[in-house]
Amino acid sequence: MSSETILEGQGIWKIYGELEVLRGVDIDIRRGQTKVIIGPSGSGKSTLLRILGFLEPPTRGRVLFRGRDVYGEGLDLAKIRSKIGFVFQQPSLFRHLTALENIKLGPRLVLGMSDREAEKRAWEMLKLVHLEEFADYYPAQLSGGQQQRVAIARALAMNPDILLLDEPTANLDIELTWEVIEVMEELARKGITMLVVTHEIPFAREVADEICFISDGVIQECNEPEEMIKNPKTPRARVFLKRLLGEV
Amino acid sequence: MSIVSDLFFILQGITATISISFLSFGIGFLLGILLAFIRLYAPKPAALLGDAYVKLFLGVPVLVFMLLFHFGFGQFIPFFKSAYFSSVFALGLRSGAYQSQIFRAAINSIPRDQLLAARALGLTDTQILRYVVLPQAFIVALPGLGSEIALLIKDSAYAFILGVLDITKYADILRAAYREFVAPYILAAMLYIMLTFPIANYLDKLGSKLKKKYAL
Ligand SMILES: Nc1ncnc2c1ncn2[C@@H]1O[C@H](COP(=O)(O)OP(=O)(O)O)[C@@H](O)[C@H]1O
Ligand SMILES: [Mg+2]
Repeated sequence: MSSETILEGQGIWKIYGELEVLRGVDIDIRRGQTKVIIGPSGSGKSTLLRILGFLEPPTRGRVLFRGRDVYGEGLDLAKIRSKIGFVFQQPSLFRHLTALENIKLGPRLVLGMSDREAEKRAWEMLKLVHLEEFADYYPAQLSGGQQQRVAIARALAMNPDILLLDEPTANLDIELTWEVIEVMEELARKGITMLVVTHEIPFAREVADEICFISDGVIQECNEPEEMIKNPKTPRARVFLKRLLGEV
Repeated sequence: MSIVSDLFFILQGITATISISFLSFGIGFLLGILLAFIRLYAPKPAALLGDAYVKLFLGVPVLVFMLLFHFGFGQFIPFFKSAYFSSVFALGLRSGAYQSQIFRAAINSIPRDQLLAARALGLTDTQILRYVVLPQAFIVALPGLGSEIALLIKDSAYAFILGVLDITKYADILRAAYREFVAPYILAAMLYIMLTFPIANYLDKLGSKLKKKYAL
């Protein structure tokens, strides 16, 4: 593949006190790619995503956004963050704002759009996640799945170069999971660059270019979905996938 | 004197009671937000100084400050020669300490995930405070602010000791001048209830309603 590398982590370590959560992770995501990360709970997936989203610096290593070493060059973090969409596992909508207002906030404050432009953009994003009729609902009035779709719309409204999604369906009931997955699949088909932590294997199978397995603070292996699912090379990945697929 | 004329007599003090309470609440409001920020976000030495300030006003009766300001500082500082402004100032400073507690707890109650989400959008720290944290924190703070106003209305009665002509003072004049020992104080108590209860109750209800609406 020759398309531009959007995000790249080089030799990323993250140490909290005594705990070595990440121990030299290398990863890159190219424009148009959908990459899925799987791995046991506590293996550092969320930490890795926060570091790649510049929400937290690595203890060691470099994080490159479109080829530029953001920390090394001392680039404006807020500006870089605005180009990276982030969707969290926990509900993270601003609870005093309606769905529409949640989506408008970034474009207005960060992209400097007028209220009108931001509103127009927010409606487009709501349409994208099929929630136009919920524009004036507060997060408290929305289901978990709807909240996550608004969170996706909010991230997309910034017109980011990449979307990072950290187990966006892990807190949802099964029947709410698919509506979020469906939206994510549509985005992947539209060519939106995505790095997704998820254990929804059908999703990975359907749209991922690559699945990476992380465990013990390192990426153990990355491979095409079919290959990774049917024929994992490392013993750890084999055990993990067997459990995962057995349980699902 | 009749009850009715007693009532009208005491009512002369209502302006002082209300204005002292609301002025000191205003001072306490600005000071409270500022102190909450300092204690939460300022560098350690400043934050500790903020904590010390709060401890001071939590631990010393406000009447002591009122007396100190008026009779002490009033010796050299013209502003404190006024019993009225000494009272407003002392109550305002204490309210700042109390309100900083209210605001700090309210700000801390905003879930971290929202802050992270705001940061991920590229909002600056100031924007996050202004557009995400404070609007929600104010809602969470409403019931506490209601109690604080009620407390100030009640404690403004100490101003009578400095000679301010408030509700309590007028009631006491009736005792001293007309030897009415019961009715004036009961009337004063009723007036205080009528001032404190609706405000505290309204803000409490409003806070609960909004908290429910937004699931805060
Ligand atoms: N801010 C932090 N401070 C201390 N420990 C942390 C912090 N964030 C995560 N950890 C620890 O790092 C480990 C990995 O966490 P996380 O990245 O959330 O894993 P995952 O998302 O794969 O479940 C866990 O043991 C967690 O307790
Ligand atoms: Mg996680």
